[in-house]
Amino acid sequence: MTTAAVATGQAMPAPAERWTLPDARDLEAINRLVSAPLLESGSWTWRAWWIGFGVSSALTAVMAVSVLWLFLKGIGIWGVNSTIVWGFAIANYVWWIGIGNAGTLISSMLLLMRQKWRASTNRFAEAMTLFAATIAGIFPILHLGRPLYFYWLMPYPNTMTVWPQWRSALIWDFWAILSYILFSIIFWYVGLIPDLATIRDRAKTPLKRTIYGALALGWRGSARHWRAYEILHLTLACLGVPLVVSLHSVVGMDFAASLMPGWQETIFPPYFVVGAMYSGFAMVVCLAALVRWGFRMQALITINHFEVMAKIMLAAAIIMGLSYATEWFMAWYGGELADRNFVVFEFTGAYWPMFAGLLLGNVVVPQAFWLRAVRRNVVLVFIIAVAINIGMWLERILIIWNTLSHDYLPSAWRLFFPTIWDWALLIGSLGLFALMFLIFVRLVPIVSMHEVRRLVAEEAGS
Amino acid sequence: MSTTTRGRHQPSRETRSSSFALDRRAALKLFTSGAALALASCGRPAEEIVPYVELPERLVPGIPLRFATALSLAGYARGVIVTSMEGRPIKIDGNPRHPASLGSTDIFAEASVLSLYDPDRSKAVRKSTYILAWSAFEAALLTQLELEKSRQGAGLAILTSRVTSPTLLGQINALQKAMPQALWYRADPVDDDAEITGTVQAFGRRLTAVPRFTDTRVALLLDADPIGPGPKQIRFARDVTGARQSHAAEDFLRIYAVEPSWTLTGALADHRLPLRQDLIRNVALAVARELGLTVPDASLPDSALNFARAAAADLKSRPGRAMVLAGPRQAADVHALCHVINAQLHAPIDFIEPIDPMAAAHMDSLRALASDIHSTRTQTIIILDANPAYEAPDELGLGELISSVPFSAHLGLYEDETAARCTWHLPLSHPLESWSDLRAYDGTAGIVQPLIRPLYDTRTTHDLLALLGGTLTTTPHDLVRATWQSHAAAGDFTAWWRQTLQDGVIAASAAAKVATPPAKMPQIAPAEGTSNFTLTLALDPSIFDGRMANNAWLQECPKPFTKQVWGNALHVSPADAKRLGLVDGDLVTLKTAHAAIDAPVVVIDGQADGAISGTLGYGRTHVGGIGNGVGVDFYRMRSAGAPWAIDNVELTRVGDNQNILRTQHFFDLAGEAKDLQPRVTLADLAKGHALFASVDANPATLYPPHNYDTYKWAMAIDTSACIGCNACVVACQAENNVPVVGPQEIAVGRDMHWLRIDDYVIDGRPGFSPVPCMHCEHAPCEPVCPVAASVHDSEGLNVQVYNRCVGTRFCESNCPYKVRRFNFFGYADGEEYGDLGADILKAVFNPNVTVRGRGVMEKCTYCIQRISAARRDAEKENRSIRDGEVITACQAACPTRAISFGDLNNSDAHVNALRHQPHSYALLGHLGTRPRTTYLARVSNPNPDLTS
Repeated sequence: MTTAAVATGQAMPAPAERWTLPDARDLEAINRLVSAPLLESGSWTWRAWWIGFGVSSALTAVMAVSVLWLFLKGIGIWGVNSTIVWGFAIANYVWWIGIGNAGTLISSMLLLMRQKWRASTNRFAEAMTLFAATIAGIFPILHLGRPLYFYWLMPYPNTMTVWPQWRSALIWDFWAILSYILFSIIFWYVGLIPDLATIRDRAKTPLKRTIYGALALGWRGSARHWRAYEILHLTLACLGVPLVVSLHSVVGMDFAASLMPGWQETIFPPYFVVGAMYSGFAMVVCLAALVRWGFRMQALITINHFEVMAKIMLAAAIIMGLSYATEWFMAWYGGELADRNFVVFEFTGAYWPMFAGLLLGNVVVPQAFWLRAVRRNVVLVFIIAVAINIGMWLERILIIWNTLSHDYLPSAWRLFFPTIWDWALLIGSLGLFALMFLIFVRLVPIVSMHEVRRLVAEEAGS
Repeated sequence: MSTTTRGRHQPSRETRSSSFALDRRAALKLFTSGAALALASCGRPAEEIVPYVELPERLVPGIPLRFATALSLAGYARGVIVTSMEGRPIKIDGNPRHPASLGSTDIFAEASVLSLYDPDRSKAVRKSTYILAWSAFEAALLTQLELEKSRQGAGLAILTSRVTSPTLLGQINALQKAMPQALWYRADPVDDDAEITGTVQAFGRRLTAVPRFTDTRVALLLDADPIGPGPKQIRFARDVTGARQSHAAEDFLRIYAVEPSWTLTGALADHRLPLRQDLIRNVALAVARELGLTVPDASLPDSALNFARAAAADLKSRPGRAMVLAGPRQAADVHALCHVINAQLHAPIDFIEPIDPMAAAHMDSLRALASDIHSTRTQTIIILDANPAYEAPDELGLGELISSVPFSAHLGLYEDETAARCTWHLPLSHPLESWSDLRAYDGTAGIVQPLIRPLYDTRTTHDLLALLGGTLTTTPHDLVRATWQSHAAAGDFTAWWRQTLQDGVIAASAAAKVATPPAKMPQIAPAEGTSNFTLTLALDPSIFDGRMANNAWLQECPKPFTKQVWGNALHVSPADAKRLGLVDGDLVTLKTAHAAIDAPVVVIDGQADGAISGTLGYGRTHVGGIGNGVGVDFYRMRSAGAPWAIDNVELTRVGDNQNILRTQHFFDLAGEAKDLQPRVTLADLAKGHALFASVDANPATLYPPHNYDTYKWAMAIDTSACIGCNACVVACQAENNVPVVGPQEIAVGRDMHWLRIDDYVIDGRPGFSPVPCMHCEHAPCEPVCPVAASVHDSEGLNVQVYNRCVGTRFCESNCPYKVRRFNFFGYADGEEYGDLGADILKAVFNPNVTVRGRGVMEKCTYCIQRISAARRDAEKENRSIRDGEVITACQAACPTRAISFGDLNNSDAHVNALRHQPHSYALLGHLGTRPRTTYLARVSNPNPDLTS
């Protein structure tokens, strides 16, 4: 961007002006703003944090108990039955992995697209990715009838001389999750290194200096370092985009590579990618609002961020609506009785209120983002983002329930009724996520200082 | 083993340390270790024992032995062959030589092996709350007998259920000779009083009618269910479906059924008219009138009148090949009228002397007993394997009366409702532990031989009667031999005995046909129309009369029409339900002048308006942990005058709703069923071309074809022959160690049956198709398993490797037939329902089939263990497996031979021929799964006069 752009009009202000407030337009101010929670924790009350920590610890304990009970008693404690053999575990998995998508997307795809506003959100979005993907990765294991043998999905030399069955979408899924989690860790850490060095340099106690120093891997900010960093970061970003698309395509193929009405659809892989991005963005919006409020980061996370993210969600909502419509059309156009009945069941069957909730949350409510006033109202954007996340969760569970409740043989049709343990694990996983995030904000700079500095510096230098 | 070892050593240590003063803890330990020793019997005895150097004759470890015996249902025998594995009976099959089995079984026979090992069985003599030795009872009885002998048995009463055992009858006779004043009462809940009285009215003598369905081409069944549950089910089902195999209309048995509620026969019928039970006599009268008999005029609704006219015309057109049958719920005069009609039609019905020799009607016998106890004539009552406190109508008050008898003893398998009223309870041996003999419905006698020594200190009815006769030494074995001594050719009894035991059937022992005098028209009045509810009762399709209510296999066996398990319900027609505002599960109070019960409602299409129905056998209070408190006891609605059909029942809604536990019918159909369970008529078949897509269609696939160069197993199921009796379901459960999950798990939808019977209602008519695994050639379950636990074998079997399964359940998700079953809990492995995990029940497992643990998927294997056994035999003889050599458990059980199994690579295989019938179809074949299990569509032969 050039100063000319600033001069030519209000509509398109210079990036630094658009994405930061005047309080955060010099490099030291940025450093101070971001590192304050880590280095000057005494100047904060942390009351909200402690409340959050307490609640999320309690919920994590709920998750721990439900996992323990699960291991002791078996998956019979859930509402799964002979017909609907999958339930919350798979829905939670797909939902969490969807949320785990946005960080990488913001970091890599927006980086490659040179969307500079990503600088103030990408750090916690990446952290969110990491935590969500980790939690997502737990569910397929918990979901197993014999979780202790989950490693049989890995190709390792064994006395049985058996390898995994490569035609199974679950094996593809296993690799997709594994590589995605590994990638997310590396990408997140690489992006952190310059900031860890900043914290090291600003740390006031020897302990912090030592720990952050060790984690900063000897970063000195030399030109060579920056060059190596830029190459690695960009390369990882290039790897990340196809990875994130493939991950969600594979998750979609868990369903699409089957024979079931409502699953066996070629639209599933792209539709899952969009859905994942959609729910991930909604979660980023929620976290951004909380981080902005909790750490007084109004200068770094501006109302313009919310507006642009609302636009992306609006676009995604439209794509989701089109995907749903395509499914319905194809079910009719394809002519298969089971598919047609399936769509009728979606609208009129036992789960119709949830299906209505899904359409409301994913397609109808986000249409409010057409209004600029809504896009620029943090509270409204937050509420709609929560609605989207609920809608996306309903979509995940209904993909399973509708298809398995109403497939080919009416004699086997039945309904799913969740048990207290189904809910405990879902709510517990939210608690674990919150707990990890709360710990993260105390240990790591929540906004990428060096990227915001660069945004501001490029402005100043140009 | 470890328990028993500890058991042997511990007591000595305990006694030493406590100086013979036993505290409570030590006493309990002693007791339990002693009990464990006695039960498990696998501890090495204290005395020196010597292992056998040569195996005992016949006993090869791992090779099962098979013995012929007979099991009783309502007193009548069904011959069975029991497989015994190292001394443990584990599976019951039919005895092909036996006329009431023909090699097939019913669910009750299949399940009786589980009852043998039932931990709730009565195990010891009990007086009040004390457990005593048999000798204590013997002493008490002998004293009492002295008293009775002194008055020639004037105070002695013996109550039995139906007795067909020649040996037992002989013993009772002998006892009555010794004590002429002693009285024998006989009452079975499955009475045939109306039928017998009907023959008395028509022919002037007690007779039993035996219809020859194989010779029949038109049958009108008035509230009759010959192929329903009962001792004749297997035979009649075989005969009826056999007569419906032909594709020529003139050679195909056409059935007209008139009934108030669904029966298996009604489901099979070509035409069925739902009609109130009381109006059915008017149908009989209308038919009689159409056939030219002089009978009173009877009014009927138009539809029923048309039905009766069409049926009568059809009956008339097939003289000698047509029959009219009335069911046991119809009054004697209707039976008599049917005899008159049948005489006119020259119906293919034989008559024999009743197999049950007692002349008194069952209800009369109970009435007599009640009045004799009331008048204190009865001082000593011995109840042999009967349960009047539960089964008898309340108005007789037999429960209280029995407890007022000074000396009462009850011999039974369980400490049941009657045992609780008796001074003494005596444990009865299970039929698989007993020597006896039994007659089938047609009089054919068979020897009951024990497969195993009594598990507990139990005795047989023969033992007890011998004791009553004052002998303590005769064994039932000797008694049975003595009965048949005269039967054998002179001098060669030993050989005859051996041969008879081998066959399980006594040659030429069937009752001789009796020539009947001309049938006499009874005095019969038509029924007046009423608008009150009539409650009809029937034997339960799952637990029959309630004796086997503690059998978990039976409790979890889905009823044919409602698919209800673990309970029964009151069936109500949709119109009546609408009028009363009832939905499934609503509790209602049924009230008559003498009784009132609460029951949940099931609304069922095809129930006659104004007719409500229930099944007997539930609501037991003293049978055991499995059966106690399950379902509604409809016996309480019975009165001595109206045991089967109770008029003027008031129905009021209670307001509560109770979940009906069922395994199907959760959704209304949307037209799918016509493709899933197609129905065709003989006219369709006559077109001569294939009616459905070829079962050999080979849709495109990306995967390379399989190379089946050895065997190619396949199953063909003829849905025309499937009557929905569930024998295959329970047989599969017995053969494959399929666990019972219990009502709580059923409520969440986790039934484990490997084989289910799909019931679809099309145009108001149910139909049955057994659904085992389809063993698809392009199996959707195989490519989705991440660990290759679901794999295809070289013979086309779709096999599940339990050890490899990690439980992703993707296979079941992707199975369009939903035939896979998952162990959500350790249903057979530590988390059993009720007491089903008791050690003793491990004896029932088939050692050739893995008992599955928690967290693994399982499913039908086509009885792979039986294929392996046949393969071993064939390889020993260096040949390939012959057609018919592998018989799956479901196939063996099926009374109608609806299931065929064989090798498609063998061009002569029966299954090959069936697959290429014009009405052969593959379930969901259009999905490209190429199922190996295929079906023949249900064929009917409707009367054009009634369809147009």
